Amino acid sequence: MSALAPERTLGQPWQTGPGRRSSPIGWRWGDRLALAGAWVAGIGLCVIAAAIVLYMGYRGIEYLRPQLIFSRPAVGTSQSETGGFLDPILGTALLTLIGIVLAVPLAVSSALWICEYGRPSWLARIVESSIEIVAGTPDIVIALFGLAIFQLRLFAPFSFTASGGGVFGRSFIAAGAMMSLIALPPLFATTRDGLQAVPTHMREAAFALGKTRIATIRRVLLPSVRSNIATGVTLGVSRIIGDTAIVVLLLGESLRLESQGSAPVAGLLRGTGSTLTSYVYDNSPAGEGAAPQKAYAAAFVLLALVLCLNLLVDRIGRSQAHATGLRTPAAIL
Amino acid sequence: MTRIRRLSVALVVTGVLGVAAPAAASALTTITISGATASYPLVQLLAQKYVKVHPHKVKFKVTEGGAQVGVNNVVSGASTIGDVSRDPLSSDPKGLDFYPIAKYGICVITNKANALSNLTQAQVISIFTGKTRSWSGVPGATASGTIDLISRTSVAGVLTNFQTLLLENKKVSSIAAEEPSEGLLRQQVENDPNSIGFASNYQSDKGGVNAVALNGVGCNRANALSGQYAGVAHFYEVTKGRASGAAAAFIGWIEKSAAARKIINTQWISIS
Amino acid sequence: MLRRLRSPWSERRAELTLGAVALSVGAVVVAMLVFVAVHAWPILEHNGISWLGGAGNLEAQIATMQATGRGAPASAYKLDAWPFIYGTLLTAAAAVVLALFVSVLSSIFIVELAPSRVRRIAIPVIRVLASVPSVIYGLIGVLVLVPFVGNHLITGAQKASVQNVVELTGAGLLVAVVILTVMITPIMVALICEAFVSVPNSWREGAIALGLNPLRAMLSVTVRAARPAIVAAVVLATARALGEAVMISMVSGSRTFVPKPIDGAIFVFEPLRTLASAIIDFHEGIGAPALSSTLYALALVLLFSAAVLSVAGYLIKLPLRRYQVRG
Repeated sequence: MSALAPERTLGQPWQTGPGRRSSPIGWRWGDRLALAGAWVAGIGLCVIAAAIVLYMGYRGIEYLRPQLIFSRPAVGTSQSETGGFLDPILGTALLTLIGIVLAVPLAVSSALWICEYGRPSWLARIVESSIEIVAGTPDIVIALFGLAIFQLRLFAPFSFTASGGGVFGRSFIAAGAMMSLIALPPLFATTRDGLQAVPTHMREAAFALGKTRIATIRRVLLPSVRSNIATGVTLGVSRIIGDTAIVVLLLGESLRLESQGSAPVAGLLRGTGSTLTSYVYDNSPAGEGAAPQKAYAAAFVLLALVLCLNLLVDRIGRSQAHATGLRTPAAIL
Repeated sequence: MTRIRRLSVALVVTGVLGVAAPAAASALTTITISGATASYPLVQLLAQKYVKVHPHKVKFKVTEGGAQVGVNNVVSGASTIGDVSRDPLSSDPKGLDFYPIAKYGICVITNKANALSNLTQAQVISIFTGKTRSWSGVPGATASGTIDLISRTSVAGVLTNFQTLLLENKKVSSIAAEEPSEGLLRQQVENDPNSIGFASNYQSDKGGVNAVALNGVGCNRANALSGQYAGVAHFYEVTKGRASGAAAAFIGWIEKSAAARKIINTQWISIS
Repeated sequence: MLRRLRSPWSERRAELTLGAVALSVGAVVVAMLVFVAVHAWPILEHNGISWLGGAGNLEAQIATMQATGRGAPASAYKLDAWPFIYGTLLTAAAAVVLALFVSVLSSIFIVELAPSRVRRIAIPVIRVLASVPSVIYGLIGVLVLVPFVGNHLITGAQKASVQNVVELTGAGLLVAVVILTVMITPIMVALICEAFVSVPNSWREGAIALGLNPLRAMLSVTVRAARPAIVAAVVLATARALGEAVMISMVSGSRTFVPKPIDGAIFVFEPLRTLASAIIDFHEGIGAPALSSTLYALALVLLFSAAVLSVAGYLIKLPLRRYQVRG
């Protein structure tokens, strides 16, 4: 009746291997129900995920044409006139760039300070709690906060001022700054875990050689957490790419990239635009709704991007595990 | 050598990022327009054409939100021009100038599967105020079951005009679903076989819905132009005080130029 | 000056610089709380605490706010936001409870029951589910699930029975909860799987040696030992569920309605709005001061609930500390 559990590690299901097995036929009803439920839940999740990917793939292949990716959106009265989504793709890339450029120094410095210095300890706890609060804040609240900040007169150079005196408050800089808050928690977490995983003897060896702490950070620690930072950046990028609420509220939702003012790069940053997510939202039945085909095509591109990023995280994680022999936090999943 | 290289790189970067490009792009004003979703396609087309005809003069930022949002934005200074799809109300703040730019018809629309061809005004009132709740009470309708009313949110100018022109100032029932834009309303009517709603003739002419005739007069651009159709309303451009500068130039171009009139006459009716 | 920057920094300077950058994150969080509270103040001032109640007609109140611009009379600030709060609580609670069952069972499946080939496929597949953007969930919901529910699950008789109160179009509670569950399950599965794996094997083997079958051993030993992780997963999932705006706005219908359980089976088809989806739905009118204040007040409730969640999670995990498994 009782099974002799065979010697096993994770990777061998209990049904195989030597020794007597406990067959479900002899179990109580509740256990059999739980067993069935576990199988249904597990397989069901996989089926749902496969269904979503396959359905989006099917629709994407049905509606995606190469000229959609390379032509700019336009105003038109019929679908053939409204062009493609080149500008949203560029907008996604620009926004991600701004978000990561702002997030990396913040996250890495915070992780370094907490792991290497962290005095006084109540201050370190405050910083950690703040980052946890940012992680738990809904993106729509962050977007409203961004609107409140960037509509202040102080930040008028970051967007533009309407003729009536109201600060528009919506631009790539505004959205990018809030996106950096979105990317901050995963970046911070992976960097901090990487720093904590560096063995103390490496630091001590550097100190024994006479290096100051900051020099150790520069020469020893940062290089060794490079792949952690890379993982964090990729996680942050996939969060930024998938975010819609901040884009809808803070990017001004012009179809094309519209720069503001005459300086080339600064104008682009102060200007408005759209991203793939807001393009899908606008073309879906929740937005202006006129073009579910274009929404499907753009959504397919978006999903493909996110899946590639997923693979990238996987690759980096696996190569790091090989290199250092240490398990990354996300090793099991 | 490295110091000079570093300094020159810094200078180039600052130059690219901050310094204004020469005079060619200098005098570019930005006109912000926001407001009605019904006139949004028209205003976008007009803005696109204006930029082509008068390049390097103005930039447009056109957003939506509903006619009332446009009025509020003009009053608060957030927008230069407001798109308004209804006539001025007594509750509107003082000091606003309304410039009519086009006319449009308001059509009652149903799902394509529901071959309702005509409704009297009394029937329209009874349906939209919620007195008739089932399709069986509507002669000529091929749909059955509950009537799904699709309406607009309260900021919509088209809603205000619909209530004034077609409902004899009665209010649409609160049971109705309130869509925030015309496109969404049309989407809902296209997808729900039991639905009925109202939209500008631009939306109903797109073909995915069934436009219902009112009192025997079909709702299309021709009948609106000839004046036979009862539900004809105006699009306005609203400014705070008299329009001035670039905004005045744009509105003047819409009112007077042949190119603008051609664009308006594609789907709407120009005011000649 | 360039030379001073390039020369080796002193310890003190490095520590202060890094500390300043780290503290700026804290400053941003404080700024967020302050700004949201300041913008929400007019509503709080006018209504006191009663703005959380449900006395008035919320739809009419929002309509008034949208209609008034500058110089709104004090009556425009009246707000009774209970329908939003109720909608949020309803969707979040239903989704989290469903997701809890599904994720614990799936984690048991992945860690224990799955053949290794299936496990190798299941793990990346579930990770994919976690990274799908919410707008794609919303797109599939509004283009596939809502018409399905509206045309095939809701009968004409059900629609007719509530026709004088609300319209049932398929967009409503059911679709929102189902998609929300699918969205938050992968987050929970990741955390719970990790916790299951870190429970020492000998504990489970001891239970089996005492005569339990493997599944019951799993349930009574591993799941119990991983309770701190399960609590952490629930907290994380609830935070995600509360803050989901775009997807819910796309699939939950366009009425500010309070679904009533008394309606029986129809209850799951009724439309609703949550705090986050209301902010997205009405954000275009943010130029009107009364509406802007309302939206910030809704955001304040969301912030407050996120804080309450973290504290609650911490408190629940406290008595579970005696288990060595890290949560």
